[in-house]
Amino acid sequence: MLHRRVFQFFIVYLLGIGLLFGIKLALNLSDYVIPGPIGVWHTGQAEFSRYMSDVLDTFAVAVVGQVLSILMALGVGVAGRRATWFGSFIKVAAYNVQAYPIVAIAPILFILLGDGFLTRLFIAAMICYFPLLLSVIGIMSEPVVDIEHFYRVTGRMRWQLEVKIRAFENLHKLTTVISGSATLAMAGTIVAEFIAANAGIGYSIRIALYQSDLSKILVALFIIGITLSLYQGILELLGAVLKKAWAAG
Amino acid sequence: MISCHDITFRYPGAEAPLFDGLDVTIDKPGFHALFGPSGVGKTTLAKIISGDIDNFSGQVEAIGGMRCLYTYNRERLPGWSSVGRHLEKTTPPGRQPLRDEFIHHFGLTQLMGMRYSQLSMGQCNRVNLLRYLLQDFSILIMDESLANVDEPTRQAILYKIKSIFPEAGFLYISHNVVEVARFCDQIVVFRGAHQSPQTCRISGQDHREDRPLDKTALERSMLEIMNAA
Repeated sequence: MLHRRVFQFFIVYLLGIGLLFGIKLALNLSDYVIPGPIGVWHTGQAEFSRYMSDVLDTFAVAVVGQVLSILMALGVGVAGRRATWFGSFIKVAAYNVQAYPIVAIAPILFILLGDGFLTRLFIAAMICYFPLLLSVIGIMSEPVVDIEHFYRVTGRMRWQLEVKIRAFENLHKLTTVISGSATLAMAGTIVAEFIAANAGIGYSIRIALYQSDLSKILVALFIIGITLSLYQGILELLGAVLKKAWAAG
Repeated sequence: MISCHDITFRYPGAEAPLFDGLDVTIDKPGFHALFGPSGVGKTTLAKIISGDIDNFSGQVEAIGGMRCLYTYNRERLPGWSSVGRHLEKTTPPGRQPLRDEFIHHFGLTQLMGMRYSQLSMGQCNRVNLLRYLLQDFSILIMDESLANVDEPTRQAILYKIKSIFPEAGFLYISHNVVEVARFCDQIVVFRGAHQSPQTCRISGQDHREDRPLDKTALERSMLEIMNAA
């Protein structure tokens, strides 16, 4: 699971970088536009430590934002699973709000909260919250009739049991969604840093952009990708372990 | 015991109603059957009687407001628990001896440590039926609850149920005409929505373990059922 994720990332990254070098060769572009492999390698050696530290900074914010999103999505999803007025209201509200691009309100957050940790965290959480919420609501509002019927007709059904049955039956889906939301959280944090923050890999990429230094951006992308692949692989592994342990009683 | 009067029901999107003024009465406790080809409405009527379907017109009365449970053959147990643990948790207080007796008679003793996903379809159905039999009920509707169970085990289970619950009402949905004619007292045969009357009632042999079986009478019941359907 873990090695597959990393392997997939390497394939995608090498294909991407290969395409860039192909364009450079085909159009005979200068190193200023697209640096050569040696230039990228040297930049990597020079900037790796600093960028790694930046990526870890961004990653920490993204993980905290994702955990907050998961907790919020589970709470609201469980509350909104019922076909009641409240449940319908939450579903409609979630569908409508998620249709609005959260990044568009990022400048307001920077104006109100400044360019520190809290704004990055808030944007990361908001970006991965709504897709998570929609998935959790979808899973939680879908009855597992063949299992729930017995508990319902014998008067044993409690909301905790209902949530447990639906979560267990959809654990693979939930793990996939949570793992996928890691990318969103990381993207949210980087976008926030890119817009106005004063730390993190998004901030470093913004500086590299102002310097028109594609080598730095490619090195940053490599570290971001490998970190995210490892994290997603670990999340999937945890999901599989959790399911196995749960099924084993 | 159960009285359904003037039941009219149409599934959303269906062109014609499944039931149009249907009347069905089961007047005494015992082991009874709903019989008929697929799609004539046996399960639908069972769900109407148990309250799982409520958007119909007409009246359903269970005398004395009796508790009616409906169980069907595709039900599953939660995957996080072993069969034995699940049965322990769902057995009402004081019924542990009955549970152990059923486990023995249903041939499930060896399966208590297993997960539901590890069982065969016949074993799944036996476990599912067992947990319902341990609950409080006056009427239990068994919708193909013994499907995929071998003949001798099915017979032993039906005899056991009839001897343990003489005062309860059972509605057994099955496509096995021999079984229905042999074990059931009253058999409601569904004839389809376009025939009048939609159902007719045939007397079965209501056979019990301690009585001899009249094979001629059994054949007559089977013929009556087949002719009615």
